[in-house]
Amino acid sequence: MESALNWHAAIPELALACLGMAALMLGVFMRRGATLAVTMFTLASLLLVAMLVLAADAPVVAFDGLFVLDAFAVFTKVLVLLSAALALVLALDWNEKEGIDRFEYPVLVLLATVGMMAMVSANDLMSLYLGLELSSLSLYVLAAIHRDDLRATEAGLKYFVLGAVASGMLLYGSSLVYGFSGSTRFAGIAAAIEAGPASLGLITGLCFVAAGLAFKVSAVPFHMWTPDVYEGAPTPVTAFFSIAPKLAAVGLFLRVMTGPFGEAAGQWTQIIVLIAIASMLLGAFAAIGQSNIKRLMAYSSIGHIGYALIGLAAGTEEGIRGVLVYMAIYIVMNAGTFGCIVAMRREGRASERIEDLAGLGATAPGLAFALTVFMFSMAGIPPLAGFFGKFYVFMAAVQAGLWPLAVIGVLASVVSAFYYLRIVKVMYFDPAQPAFDPRPATVGVVVAGTTLFTALFALAPAPLVAAAGTAARALVGG
Amino acid sequence: MLIAVLAPFAAAGFAPLLVRLLGDRAGLVLAIVPAATFVWLLSRLPEATPGVLEATPWVPGLDVALDFSLDGLSLIFALLISGIGTLIVLYAGGYLKGHPMLGRFFLFLMMFMGAMQGVVLSDNVITLFVFWELTSLASYLLVGFESDRPAARRAALQALLITGSGGLALLAGLVMLAEAGGSWRISDLTGAGAWIQDDPLYRPILILVVLGCFTKSAQWPFHSWLPGAMQAPTPVSAYLHSATMVKAGVYLLARLDPALGGSPEWLWILTGIGGLTMLMGVVFALLETDLKLVLAWTTVSALGTLVFLLGPTHEPGVKAAMAFLLVHALYKGALFMAAGNVDHEAGTRDLTRLGGLMRTMPVTFAAAAVACVSMAGLPFGLGWVAKELIGAAKIALEDEFGITVIAATLTNLMLFCVAAIVATVPFTGRTSEAAAHAHEAPWPMLAGPVMLAALGLVFGMAPNLIAEPLIAAATTAVIGRKATLEIVLFKAFDWKFLLTLATFVAGAALFLLWRRSAAGWRASLNPVLDRGPDRGYDQVMRGLAALAAWQTRIWQPGLLHRYMAASFAVVTLAGAASLTRGEMRLNLDFDGGRLIEWAVFAVTAASALVAALATTRLLAVTALGMLGLGVAMIFMLFGAPDLAITQFMVETLVVVILALVLIRLPGFRLSAGGARPRWLYAGISAGTGALVTLLLLGVLAEPFDPRLSEWFGRAAVPEAFGHNIVNVILVDFRALDTLGEIIVVFAAALAALAAIGIGARTRA
Repeated sequence: MESALNWHAAIPELALACLGMAALMLGVFMRRGATLAVTMFTLASLLLVAMLVLAADAPVVAFDGLFVLDAFAVFTKVLVLLSAALALVLALDWNEKEGIDRFEYPVLVLLATVGMMAMVSANDLMSLYLGLELSSLSLYVLAAIHRDDLRATEAGLKYFVLGAVASGMLLYGSSLVYGFSGSTRFAGIAAAIEAGPASLGLITGLCFVAAGLAFKVSAVPFHMWTPDVYEGAPTPVTAFFSIAPKLAAVGLFLRVMTGPFGEAAGQWTQIIVLIAIASMLLGAFAAIGQSNIKRLMAYSSIGHIGYALIGLAAGTEEGIRGVLVYMAIYIVMNAGTFGCIVAMRREGRASERIEDLAGLGATAPGLAFALTVFMFSMAGIPPLAGFFGKFYVFMAAVQAGLWPLAVIGVLASVVSAFYYLRIVKVMYFDPAQPAFDPRPATVGVVVAGTTLFTALFALAPAPLVAAAGTAARALVGG
Repeated sequence: MLIAVLAPFAAAGFAPLLVRLLGDRAGLVLAIVPAATFVWLLSRLPEATPGVLEATPWVPGLDVALDFSLDGLSLIFALLISGIGTLIVLYAGGYLKGHPMLGRFFLFLMMFMGAMQGVVLSDNVITLFVFWELTSLASYLLVGFESDRPAARRAALQALLITGSGGLALLAGLVMLAEAGGSWRISDLTGAGAWIQDDPLYRPILILVVLGCFTKSAQWPFHSWLPGAMQAPTPVSAYLHSATMVKAGVYLLARLDPALGGSPEWLWILTGIGGLTMLMGVVFALLETDLKLVLAWTTVSALGTLVFLLGPTHEPGVKAAMAFLLVHALYKGALFMAAGNVDHEAGTRDLTRLGGLMRTMPVTFAAAAVACVSMAGLPFGLGWVAKELIGAAKIALEDEFGITVIAATLTNLMLFCVAAIVATVPFTGRTSEAAAHAHEAPWPMLAGPVMLAALGLVFGMAPNLIAEPLIAAATTAVIGRKATLEIVLFKAFDWKFLLTLATFVAGAALFLLWRRSAAGWRASLNPVLDRGPDRGYDQVMRGLAALAAWQTRIWQPGLLHRYMAASFAVVTLAGAASLTRGEMRLNLDFDGGRLIEWAVFAVTAASALVAALATTRLLAVTALGMLGLGVAMIFMLFGAPDLAITQFMVETLVVVILALVLIRLPGFRLSAGGARPRWLYAGISAGTGALVTLLLLGVLAEPFDPRLSEWFGRAAVPEAFGHNIVNVILVDFRALDTLGEIIVVFAAALAALAAIGIGARTRA
């Protein structure tokens, strides 16, 4: 199996890359209405590729072991494609109003998506880096796509510099791992660790790799770019950042930690536990003082990553399943929340302050209801979807004997409930501000769909959990 | 049972529509749902004594199912929820007549009803928790219902934060409990008590579960939200904050008593906190002037009594708790609704402004007076029965807990006084200005208080109607063996009876004293008591905000160099920490080096130093370029000319491009932090450098894997006919890679050309 080319495993990525180039051509040669056409084309491409992913035969190892397509990759890729599509829909109207409706936008989203798909299928340190850089480079440009906006360019620059540092650390760690294990293949590294006591150099390399990955998932203490970038970047870009790349990076994190370094779990469990605790606490406490809702969402996402990492710290099949369920629910909630934020426009200008939401319950009851559902769900209040995400990871931690971690998680949720509920309070109880501009149908559709999912998930949790279970088994079940 | 739980939710969905169609009469239709549940529950009375189970699968993969069970304990609660629920729905229709958001109100109220039924009927800890949090949520929405008042908004948030946080602690406790007991089912857990109490996690489990129950049931020091919650419309106060929701904590304590109870920890925590709450609540009640707050504080006291009675885990205590639960629900429900009538009709609930309502509101007065008989524990009220049972429970404990008997007697005494206040002050005496225009409330608002008060009277005279089917059945469910109960109204004329009489006399004396000097007590005590947990809540909230601001200053100053320093510091520390876990071989053979190597090293190190210390951008960039060139020299010295050439090109380009950019930027400014950050940064850099050096020495100590270079050496001539191995690799073995690289370079050149072209065009 190792020596086979099996290039058909990468058909979805290849197809998406080719469609991306076609989209670029379409944009260049169409004079009027290029942005809308390219966006629609990109959406269709994402949908098509999602179907290709679902139709693929898993598991396959391709390109001499550089690339793997298994149930885990399928699950994650479908979610990545879904989140990219959601973020694109949210951008459609916003970009036009802000005057950044360039056709490059959907193409960059698409290319970033190709990179993320490659990331979650990586089976070798080199293909890992390839996928990571392809997505990161596209994201750097996206962060700064509003070139004339000072905050957006600052965000782009910060993201680029810190991202480059993180990539450097990852690369340096990879070279150490290669140096001490003699292989870049995940299977080879795992074999080297299994063969004997893992050498210290290898473990230090693992530290560097983990640091690089922690940056990409914005876990504490590598989270510092997140609030600045989330605030500075245009809202649809932030929406995209908060879902697709995060999911891909978490997927990669899971694969790297349980795959090549699975045998060294004793060495990294502590690190992940620390990162998870720090992220949960920081996410909970730091968000309290925020007045900008995008910044608040940045801290919220840091906290959510902390919860998700609890599942990784457990390291068991249940733990991985918990992370996947958590991330799937997180994506939907977050897409919906950002849909609401995108709808926060007053007199043609974007509002981002929490106090701008005052009285939304009276001026836009539908939107206020949706945001209430998301906030309650993020706070983990049953029976909304967010509760189940937390429940599965906490359970996995308790079963793995990490109950202090679960307890800290619960305490952090208590604190974070405070700021989520504050938003609900502002919407319903504070004196009303003028109404927001009428929201475009595209945003309405995204918000309505995600609200339904979040509110009604409790009725039929089985399909998602079963799919996540299959994916988790592919990763650690052997 | 699933239907009994889901029916109110379904009704909640239709409530707004019904209100639109029927207006204020919607309450009559909606009341059918709890009434039907009530009747159904009564019909299940005989079956409930052994307990019945139903299960429906729900959350996959974790065996969490919608398990419901009905036994004596669930039944007594479920009957209260549906019975009082029926009356409250009727009452609310009158109380909120014509309110623009009546539909929303009924939606929340029915949702709460379903959730509360779910809590008491669930046999699965997770299902129970889900319903538990739903009740907190419904309470939040109902307390904040009149959201134009800031006090209501604060109270709603406070209630949700306290009960919601307690709920999450409860979740942690329940999950650990399920792990320790090996099942999600409460009916399995209650059988595994001995096993659970030997678990090393018993104490954390106990503390977390108790936290959940105490926050919900407003025990000290978490009680502050309950008086605040009186901002809710009165039907809500009567239903959630006296009869049902606040009792959820008591329910869970009773439910888990076989699993967790019986240990010294359980005894001390429950008896201590319960007793304290009991006493505190009734003292505060004496200091209030708002009729609803008086009732709220006595509710706090009653909840304390219930927890207090559950502490010792013995049969008389449980019996007394179950009886008192029922009594309290009946009289407090009646009193709250009566207070609501007073508020609604007279426009105020301030005791100092009320009086003489007896004449204009006779029915309300009669209901309140009868309820107060029960509350005071006078004969012929059901309160008398409860007091007898409590007395029995205390006597069973007397040897160990003398002090608790005193506390309970004091509570009784003051409760008598409060009952006297509530029954007389608003209704008798001179007709006050506020009371002058009052009218009797409409019938839906009278049905509730009258019926509850009457029930209290009927059961008080014939207590054996409920003794066996309800109280004994509930006790059986809690203690796990068959309990029987036969109530005799007058036992004997002994010292206990005399003590009871003495309590009444002392209570009456206290009431007379209160009439004379209550205002003085309030003036002197309220400033002191204001420093209680309610203030603490405010301080915690402020503290959180301050902590958040502080961490933003430390972690999030928006300065890129601070972020980089933190990242490097963490990675260096983590790497160093991993190195301390064992031994690493280092390659320390050093042959002294050639002169040229030293020279290159000197240039590289010097340029690094210059780059770090430079005060202008141009110098820094140039020094960095020099550093790169030094590295390229190293590549060249050690036989990698292709790498070296690439490095030369890249470095040169970087310097040129950077210099071009720098021309357009303002001068270089050092970081604003002054000398300290610079030293800190120097330390971090030195640490990172040391770590990397160590690792490099470690890598060199590993045996070199020569397979690849040997293979290329062997294969170069026979397979590619070339003697320069690097050339052969580039153009033969990895020809495709090279082609790809060329394409990339070409594409980059095209892009550069386009960029330059754009620049030229815009300038022109």
